[in-house]
Amino acid sequence: MMRGMLGVFQELDSTVEAIEELKQKKVGDLTVYTPTPRHELEHAVEPPRSKVRVFTLVGALSGAAFGYWIAIWGSEYWPLVVGGKAISTWLPYTVFGFEVMVMVGALSTVFGMFYLQGIPRLTMTVGYDERFSHGSYGIWCECAPDKLAEAEAILKRHGAVEVRGER
Amino acid sequence: MATLAQPSGDTLHRPNIASADIQLPAVRDYEQVDREITAVLQPTKAWFLGLMLAVGALGLGVVSFLYQVHQGLGVAGYNPPVMWGVYIISFVFWVGIGHAGTLISAILFLFRAGFRTTIYRAAEAMTVFAVMTAGLFPIIHIGRPWKFFWLIPYPNWRLIWPNFKSPLVWDVFAITTYLTISTTFLFVGLIPDIAVLRDKEKNPLRKRILALLSFGWRNTEREWRHFARAYLFLAAFSTPLVLSVHSVVSFDFAMGIVPGWHTTIFPPYFVAGAIFSGFAMVWTIIIPMRKWFGMKHYVTLNHLDASAKMVLFTSLVVGCAYIVEFFIAWYGGIAYEQDYFWNRVFGQWWWAAWIMLTCNMILPLSLFSQKLRRNPTWLFILSIFINIGMWFERFVIVVPSLSHDVNPWQWSSYMPTWVDFGILIGSFGWFFMWFLLFVKQLPVMAITEIKEIIPPKLKKAHATHGHGGH
Repeated sequence: MMRGMLGVFQELDSTVEAIEELKQKKVGDLTVYTPTPRHELEHAVEPPRSKVRVFTLVGALSGAAFGYWIAIWGSEYWPLVVGGKAISTWLPYTVFGFEVMVMVGALSTVFGMFYLQGIPRLTMTVGYDERFSHGSYGIWCECAPDKLAEAEAILKRHGAVEVRGER
Repeated sequence: MATLAQPSGDTLHRPNIASADIQLPAVRDYEQVDREITAVLQPTKAWFLGLMLAVGALGLGVVSFLYQVHQGLGVAGYNPPVMWGVYIISFVFWVGIGHAGTLISAILFLFRAGFRTTIYRAAEAMTVFAVMTAGLFPIIHIGRPWKFFWLIPYPNWRLIWPNFKSPLVWDVFAITTYLTISTTFLFVGLIPDIAVLRDKEKNPLRKRILALLSFGWRNTEREWRHFARAYLFLAAFSTPLVLSVHSVVSFDFAMGIVPGWHTTIFPPYFVAGAIFSGFAMVWTIIIPMRKWFGMKHYVTLNHLDASAKMVLFTSLVVGCAYIVEFFIAWYGGIAYEQDYFWNRVFGQWWWAAWIMLTCNMILPLSLFSQKLRRNPTWLFILSIFINIGMWFERFVIVVPSLSHDVNPWQWSSYMPTWVDFGILIGSFGWFFMWFLLFVKQLPVMAITEIKEIIPPKLKKAHATHGHGGH
């Protein structure tokens, strides 16, 4: 079973330096904790671009299509005939297309966010410390048992106020 | 940044700061943010008193509504052809109140306006509760409120579908979407803050509930990355939604061939009015809150100054719309339209029109004075006047048009009854009850976003400034 080493940091720049060294030496897989989003950490981690936008696009297009469809289909199924007027008209139905696009697009964005974040999460005891939601930064380095000592040394060298092994 | 506001005493020295540069000089570190904002969650006697008042007002509204259901709509003040009255006026009023919340949280987020950071959570909550309040009125207004779901297009045994060309059906879609998205936006922004509460909580039951509500949020870089992207897209969706919802509400009127209603200026006029009234309600809520909760160093005079400029701008737009309405009536040369506007301002409804013009057009001109923009007492008083003025704006739109349309034989009057007033008071009780419950359960200021503008701790001397930003 993989184990890991958790380091708790007080300073942002110490955390960035520890991440850079851990990555350079390929000690293990890193999970970085921060009480608030920081570009410095994002640059150090160099993550791939978020795929949330795919969920947004698919949801918005589906919503717009459904909004127009429900209005057109409902009008054709239950026609309210007014002399000289078309049964289905795209201009007022744009209200439905737009509103449903926004609703489905936004909800699918949130769904995509949850899916990509891996939440809801039922347990969070491994590799987490309650200080990470307040003022501390953290690095959870999940690695093979023979790399644990190296991870611990790097975390300590860069000023971690606490380093502990977890499984 | 030496001229930035201090917690107090900056009224004499009045800097002119770009809204994006507004910072919190008296907030030093993340621990202080956690400590001070979570301290607001402790209930106080004043809070209980406020809650009792709100519940009492809501009780009056419920009694009035039940009486109306039992007796029929005749107990309201309707007087044909004035078949829209306090309920539709209040519907438009509350939808409008909701607009500032989304404007502050979404549009100002996209524009990176710094003054939104400490006020947007309260404004977002205000939006959700205002739209919840607005949504009650179309239901209260219909003769058989238990049939309201007939407006929703769903497969049914009657095989009947709503009229998709009716603005009332557009309203159903617009308001439903707005409520859904506003609630989603509020909740998504709350997740990291709920995690802060969870990690501070000692009571095991509350900790468990907060853990469920936070969805197991752990503040990982991966979570923040997707969060930031999703938040941006939600803001991008909400921005046109803000503009569309009150445009659709304005179509309820503009689609009708009634003097004073059938005009293309209504959508921008309604949107500007909505933002104007919404900001006023934000002041009504925020100004006492910053005083009672000791939050003057979070909502500084610079924040109020920046929001006052927004109010002044929207007041000018609304005032311009009033004048353009009169101009078009004169320039259009339609006798019915001209007669209607004359009746509105100098005839039967002069008192309502002048309340509107005074509160919405004349008093906000005081905000050209920077001294008054930085005076919270004046801003609070002005916010009450604007709330009253904007309710009367909707009164002036709804009632005078219906009571003085193109057929002189059916000109009439309108006077609300105690049932109308009871339900109106009840709506304020409903709104404030939810808001007061919110402020004592969840952070009324965005903890994580405020932390973003606080410089982080560094071991090296070359301090970088905040704006970690998502």
